[in-house]
Amino acid sequence: MAASINNATSATDLETVENLTDMKQIQDAYLKLCKDEEELSKDLDNLLENQTTLEDKMIGLHKTLPNLQILQTDSKQLCSMVTFTSTLAENVSSKVRQLDLAKSRVTACMQRVEDILDLKFCTDGVQAALQNEDYETAAGHIHRFRSLDENVLKLSSDMNQGTSLDTSFKHLHEAEEKMKTIVHNKFDASVQARDVASIERFFKIFPLLDLHEEGLTKFGKYLAAKLSEDADKRLILVLKGTDSTDRRSNVLFADAITQLFEDVARIIEIHQPLVEAKYGSGRLITLLKIIQKECDRQSRKILGEFKSKRDFDSRLQHVQQSLIFHKQLTVEKLDPKDLDVLLSEVVLLNTRTELYLRFLKRRAFGDLETAFQDEDKRKEKEAEVDKVLQSCDLSRLLQEIIGSYITMEEYFMREMVLKAVVMDSTDSGSQTSSMVDDSFFIVKKCVRRAMSSSSVDGVCAMINHACTILEQDFREVLFNRVRAGFPSGFDLTQAYNIVQSSIQQGKLQSSDIEKTKAQFLTTLNNAEVSSEYSKALKSNLEEEVLKLFAQCNEQSIAKLESCLSDLGAVANKFKDVLEFGFSQLTSSVIKPKIKPQIDAFLSTSHNISEEEFSNYEANDPWVQNFIVVLDSMLGSFKESLTGTNYDKFVSLVTGECTMQLEKSVMKSVFNRLGGLQFDKELRVLVAYLTTVTTWTIRDKFARLTQMATILNLEKVNEILDYWGPNSGPLTWRLTPAEVRQVLSLRVDFRSDEIKWLKL
Amino acid sequence: MEDYKYLFKIVLIGDAGVGKTCLVRRFTQGLFPPGQAATIGVDFMIKTVEINGERVKLQIWDTAGQEKFRSITQSYYRAANALILVYDVCSQATFDSLPQWISDIESFAKHKVLAYLVGNKIDQINSKEVPTYIGKQWADRFEMRFLETSAKDAENVDILFYDIAVELTKDAREKDKLESDCSGFNISPNTKTINRCTACFKF
Ligand SMILES: Nc1nc2c(ncn2[C@@H]2O[C@H](COP(=O)(O)OP(=O)(O)O)[C@@H](O)[C@H]2O)c(=O)[nH]1
Ligand SMILES: [Mg+2]
Repeated sequence: MAASINNATSATDLETVENLTDMKQIQDAYLKLCKDEEELSKDLDNLLENQTTLEDKMIGLHKTLPNLQILQTDSKQLCSMVTFTSTLAENVSSKVRQLDLAKSRVTACMQRVEDILDLKFCTDGVQAALQNEDYETAAGHIHRFRSLDENVLKLSSDMNQGTSLDTSFKHLHEAEEKMKTIVHNKFDASVQARDVASIERFFKIFPLLDLHEEGLTKFGKYLAAKLSEDADKRLILVLKGTDSTDRRSNVLFADAITQLFEDVARIIEIHQPLVEAKYGSGRLITLLKIIQKECDRQSRKILGEFKSKRDFDSRLQHVQQSLIFHKQLTVEKLDPKDLDVLLSEVVLLNTRTELYLRFLKRRAFGDLETAFQDEDKRKEKEAEVDKVLQSCDLSRLLQEIIGSYITMEEYFMREMVLKAVVMDSTDSGSQTSSMVDDSFFIVKKCVRRAMSSSSVDGVCAMINHACTILEQDFREVLFNRVRAGFPSGFDLTQAYNIVQSSIQQGKLQSSDIEKTKAQFLTTLNNAEVSSEYSKALKSNLEEEVLKLFAQCNEQSIAKLESCLSDLGAVANKFKDVLEFGFSQLTSSVIKPKIKPQIDAFLSTSHNISEEEFSNYEANDPWVQNFIVVLDSMLGSFKESLTGTNYDKFVSLVTGECTMQLEKSVMKSVFNRLGGLQFDKELRVLVAYLTTVTTWTIRDKFARLTQMATILNLEKVNEILDYWGPNSGPLTWRLTPAEVRQVLSLRVDFRSDEIKWLKL
Repeated sequence: MEDYKYLFKIVLIGDAGVGKTCLVRRFTQGLFPPGQAATIGVDFMIKTVEINGERVKLQIWDTAGQEKFRSITQSYYRAANALILVYDVCSQATFDSLPQWISDIESFAKHKVLAYLVGNKIDQINSKEVPTYIGKQWADRFEMRFLETSAKDAENVDILFYDIAVELTKDAREKDKLESDCSGFNISPNTKTINRCTACFKF
């Protein structure tokens, strides 16, 4: 490139050379041309030098050319080989598939052959085993043969072999029939001979002959017979023991039925594994039904004896008669105490039965669980078990007995409570009387006894009856006593007069009045305590019930809860009695007591001179006396009332004081000093009442205190310092109208000023 | 769920097999159970209904009719706000036992309890043994309300229970009103206590 440029340059240079005129320029051009020539020859040399290497490379290329041709042919060969191999592989794999099929046919064929051989073996074996009385082996052969598919085998036989196969089958069928008869007979014979080992031996053979139901039925009957024998023997012993003074003689029949249940339980415990192993699971119920039938029979006997030996029916009748004719006193009542022992045995009978039935249910359900994976099928079977257990004779007998038990238990509870009421007494120093503790003790005892029967319906019924007895019978007693009222004439002077007059009339009356008063207050206390006891009874029983019946279904728990909540509500009914009693006390004691004192306030002038004011200071006009009267009244009740009732009493007294005082203030007139005087009096009164209460009474006096503030003002307008935005944390209990009304009680305040006041 | 204004207890009584359980299940679950097993002791079901915009919870006690359960079922009478005495219109025998049931109500239930006489199974028109007017006469004589029902065809079942719920709600409302009127000594709504201001009252 450089050269060509140079050439070009030189060409142009040549033209310019021809035009050159200046020597110096010519010389320069010459020099330049020389230099160009030199460069050109150098370039040429370089090119000539490369020629050899290029020629070498060309020769190398020529040499590799034949190798490439070989490579191409080789590749073509490889390709055809791969195609061939793949076709071959396809062929082989289809052959393998065919082989596999053939192999499985061969296996099936071998199975058939084996079956046929087995059949022959069975046919021969059965005969031999039967001959040797080796029944297990014989049954094993028959079981094996029964598992073969007879029709298929017959198809696979060819003509000449067919006859021998047919005879084999014929022999086996005959052998099977023979075995069935033998097993039946031998089993019966073993039972006859009481040969336990043989019984179990043949029991195990039944399922091999596909005689599950028959085997279980026979075995069940055998077990039932054994059960019956033992139970009969025991009942004879039990009946001998009824007269004894043994500690357990009171629960003899409960013990007897418990032993029966234990026997059944033992039989099941022992034989369930055997049944499951030889008969498979899901069949226990068949056995249970048979054994339960015998248990029913035995239970009926025991319960029958129980009823007759314990005079159950006649006592029940006696109770029922007492209930029907309870108003006619001519019928001699059954002493409730006579029932106590009997009732305890009944609940024991029932709880044992419940326990036993629950055991059976658990066993049967457990068996079904392993047998049936399918939920629906299992549920269906479980329902069947439930039905069997619920409708068995034993269940029904106990339902009847529990029904009668409730009638008698209710009678016992009511009569005992009434007895407690009749025998009511008050210990000196006690604020309540004996009937409260006694009655609640009895009620609790009865409900708890019902609980120990494990019968949910029984407990619910007894809780219902407990509500009725407390809420009606017992509460009525309290209510009637309260209704009789608190004798008035509590005033000291009046009391003195009464004492005087009664002394004249033979002294009896005054002590009677004192007794009536004491009884009234005791009744108030009884009502208060009863209300508390009801709540406690409910929560105690609730705790126990939830523990005892924890594994019951939701429905039963809901039933129990509902009945218990009714029991809790009984507390309110006693509160009503209490309210009524206090209203009696208010009208017969509190009001008459406070009235004269309020009158004294009314007759004390609060429109007073300086002189009168200081005179009042020295000789208090009424409040000191009021406090003396209040103090003696409160003091006389303090000891006789329970803490809660005393607080209530003080609260009522305080309420009466404030109400009456408010009314009287509104009826009085005041001047500034009178207002000050009233304020002083009020403070003394509040200070006194604060000392006798445990709670703050200031709130009760809020309105009066605010009235005193108003009556104590210098000027009408001063009220605004306490009113509206200036009231601060104070909440006014007086309406604006009332404020004006109180202001107008001040003789020295002008009515138009009050009227124009912006409240 | 659990909020309701009133809770009422309704107890069903009557001979076994007259359809008490079916009536309860028809009302509470809206179905007629095939092959209903005899009730043992007592059962209860709950249904909350709306009466004049207020939720009323009905606790319905279904009792067993058999004699042996009598002492259990009788214990529920006193707390009942309403009783439903059921007989089977196709069975004179169940109607003939009514005097016994009525005497039970008189001895154990609250005085003047709301009571209904119900003749069930009127779907079986052809085998009806107790004419409607006879049932009605009885109900009138004992101051009971009267209805004929079919648990199977759902006839008059909702009407029966709703009527009871309406009546009981009405009674309860009146009682509520009476009580609120009686608690007359009204504490003024402003019952905040004066505490800080004791200074200005010089106590
Ligand atoms: N045809 C008809 N059958 C009824 C009716 N109600 C109940 N039953 C049937 O009467 C039988 C007893 O019913 P159930 O509710 O168990 O009576 P309970 O003992 O009073 O509770 C069952 O077979 C029911 O199917 C009804 O309204 N019509
Ligand atoms: Mg029923």
